[in-house]
Amino acid sequence: MIDIAITGIGVISPLGVGREAFWENCRKAKTGIRKITSFDTSSLRSNIAGLVEGFDPRQFMPPSSYRRMSRISRMAVASSVEALKDSGLILDSVDRERIAVIMGTSYGSSSYVEDFYISLLKDGPRGAQPFLFPETVPNAPASHIAMFHGITGPNTTFCQNEISAENAILYAQNLLLQNQVDAALVGGADELSAMQYSCYDAVGALNKIKVENDEPINPKLGDGLILGEGAGVLVMERLDFALERNAKIYGILRSGVITGGITSVGHYEVEGKQMARAMSLVMKKANISPDDIDQINVSANFSSELDRMEHNQLKRIFRKPTKNLPVTPLKYLIGDFGGAGIIRAAAIFLSLYHQLPLPTVSAEILKGDSECSLAWNVPLTGKIHIALMTTTTFGGGSTSLVFTKS
Amino acid sequence: MNKNTAKRVVVTGLGIITAIGESIPTFQKALFNGECGIGPVSLFDTTGFPCEVAAQVKIKDLKEFFGAKGIKRVSRCDLLGLIATHEALLDSDLDSERCSKKDIGVVLGGGAGGMLSWEKYRRTSWLKKTKARPSPLLSIAQCTLTDLIASRYRLTGSRATISTACSSSATSIGYGFDLIRSGVHEIVITGGGESLSELTFAGFNALRLMDPEYCRPFDKSRRGLSLGEGAAILILEDYESAEHRGATIYAEVLGYAINSDAFHMTSPDPEAVGMSRVMTKALETANVSIDKVDYINAHGTATKINDQVETKAIKRVFGEKSARALAISSTKSMVGHCLGAAGAIETVATVLALSEQVVPPTIHLENSDPDCDLDYVPNNSRAQEVRIALNNSFAFGGNNTSVVFGRVQAQKKKMKSQK
Repeated sequence: MIDIAITGIGVISPLGVGREAFWENCRKAKTGIRKITSFDTSSLRSNIAGLVEGFDPRQFMPPSSYRRMSRISRMAVASSVEALKDSGLILDSVDRERIAVIMGTSYGSSSYVEDFYISLLKDGPRGAQPFLFPETVPNAPASHIAMFHGITGPNTTFCQNEISAENAILYAQNLLLQNQVDAALVGGADELSAMQYSCYDAVGALNKIKVENDEPINPKLGDGLILGEGAGVLVMERLDFALERNAKIYGILRSGVITGGITSVGHYEVEGKQMARAMSLVMKKANISPDDIDQINVSANFSSELDRMEHNQLKRIFRKPTKNLPVTPLKYLIGDFGGAGIIRAAAIFLSLYHQLPLPTVSAEILKGDSECSLAWNVPLTGKIHIALMTTTTFGGGSTSLVFTKS
Repeated sequence: MNKNTAKRVVVTGLGIITAIGESIPTFQKALFNGECGIGPVSLFDTTGFPCEVAAQVKIKDLKEFFGAKGIKRVSRCDLLGLIATHEALLDSDLDSERCSKKDIGVVLGGGAGGMLSWEKYRRTSWLKKTKARPSPLLSIAQCTLTDLIASRYRLTGSRATISTACSSSATSIGYGFDLIRSGVHEIVITGGGESLSELTFAGFNALRLMDPEYCRPFDKSRRGLSLGEGAAILILEDYESAEHRGATIYAEVLGYAINSDAFHMTSPDPEAVGMSRVMTKALETANVSIDKVDYINAHGTATKINDQVETKAIKRVFGEKSARALAISSTKSMVGHCLGAAGAIETVATVLALSEQVVPPTIHLENSDPDCDLDYVPNNSRAQEVRIALNNSFAFGGNNTSVVFGRVQAQKKKMKSQK
């Protein structure tokens, strides 16, 4: 079994721009969920999301590079710049064909889809804006990363709703294990747009909260998901490659599994059998038992179907009262999007590296009972060797990943 | 991966729906007869665009396929994909009972997904005359088809949708190959679907990349691509499992590679570095020597630059002399450029070339271009020996994919009655 090391992290998130800011706010369980100001929400039933604020692409690349990029591509490239710098990997000293760029996103640049289509509706067949169209392909962010760094190795993009980034991690693992590449920039990215937000609103999937100003937002447990946006990139490499170049190692990807849940479109798997199977399989592959796990990172996003299912399956697998089971639902702070898995993984690796625990809630909260309220616990110390990250998406599909300190 | 423990991967089922054929037998006939599917579009109004035609699937009501029980809230892309899946599973003799017992993965490529449904919704809400029904929005994601196939046939294995524009479904075949070769799954459903949409139609028109009449790959007078739609599904299977259950084996998947031009969002690198490297890498992973390759299903979009650069890349990989000995064709000349489904549809054409030992033609090829001077099998298919075949897909963003297939002689076409 070849181990895969994580050696670089870049994050552009609702909890802060850049790895350090993200980690600081993450540790405090500070929320990144705010009122949307970037588009008109007056006709919608909700107006909040996990928003990236204060992102200036100039801090990461020259304006000539991002001039033609959509917001999602800018965030993705920026996080790749930060991750690569953090890893100490000098591209000029390696074979660029042996580096992969693998991304996950739910919808790519949905704002450019909307802008392009509106230009067609307004100005007719001869008036549609040509420069918007190429950015509408979901692989645009990964392509921009490749172009920006001159990386010519394997390059692909996964769109699998809420497990898009997890799919990217698993495909990168596949390339590394086959020795097709020495390292991979593995990322997830999504941008919040009027197009995507209004679709979620129209089908009634969102947490119905409208805020006026900057008052504190208290999402209702189990009332519907809260969308978010952001980008993250991890540098993943084969452990031998990382050791040879004396890289700083955040942690190890020990094992990963994906399973398919059976459900109807727009819904989560009903009981969560396949979610539980992914967790059991990943522990078996990593040769660990539930008692070995120091940190459980869940994909709960305020939707009743998902959060309750995670609650039920955690109770079964960990065989203890969920009151006493601390879990980290990071999407409660950053919102939900296809690329969120990378940001959740980044939080876990920072926690493993600094040996500082992530904020937790009692798994009881996930039940969404009205008597429970969302209360974060911020542990100050604690040894963390093994972390489990579980993700389930609507449409079916669950991933489980085990990360370790060494 | 340890080469000794790596499994062999074969194709045991095919399903397709395109403008020239709505099942494997009809598609195969049209493919080898060199029929053209490009014509008027009825899905939306194309009046006023520089190019008004595309290769639309001819069936009037796709929902009729689903019989009395019917099907609801499914996008056109998903209907096409489900029709192809039904055929592929039947062809592979995998009924739903068998499906649910095995841990089957679904790995597809997606293009615009349910964009057409979103466009109808958006147009209605933009016009503000009537209230738009939101239910079609549930299926706008690229991965809806993947999820629908899994839920319809109760498939609990890996679930992934690759979305790299025109190379999406070719890469899905590569990933499916990986999952079987490394022993994660015995069977993976691969391929993809794409329906015409205003977004892609207006987009390629806006970029002036479309031929107003019909695409003519590798022809001197070519003026751009024609869009198409359709779906193709391939059942990939571990060779031993296929042998054990007596499945029909069409061809073997030998290897693949993906890479990036890292050059430009819409233009291929004129030096053809990415394109040639991806073919070389694919042949290396497949462990086959170039003199065994007899056929290439080219990306062949019929844009000025693609066909010229692809020709250059093939020459670089095979050398001038060997390149001339290859049969190369662009089946896009018949079915149009089906974007997210293109790689899968062209893989079916490639697999049929191997199983039938006939290479499909490039139609509308009348005038030779000095920059495209290889054998593109002009206008008429050709019966010839095909041992190894390559399928190329090159996408926006410089995402290149090349997949290598081999003929399987002994096991080919066992009669179903012998099972």
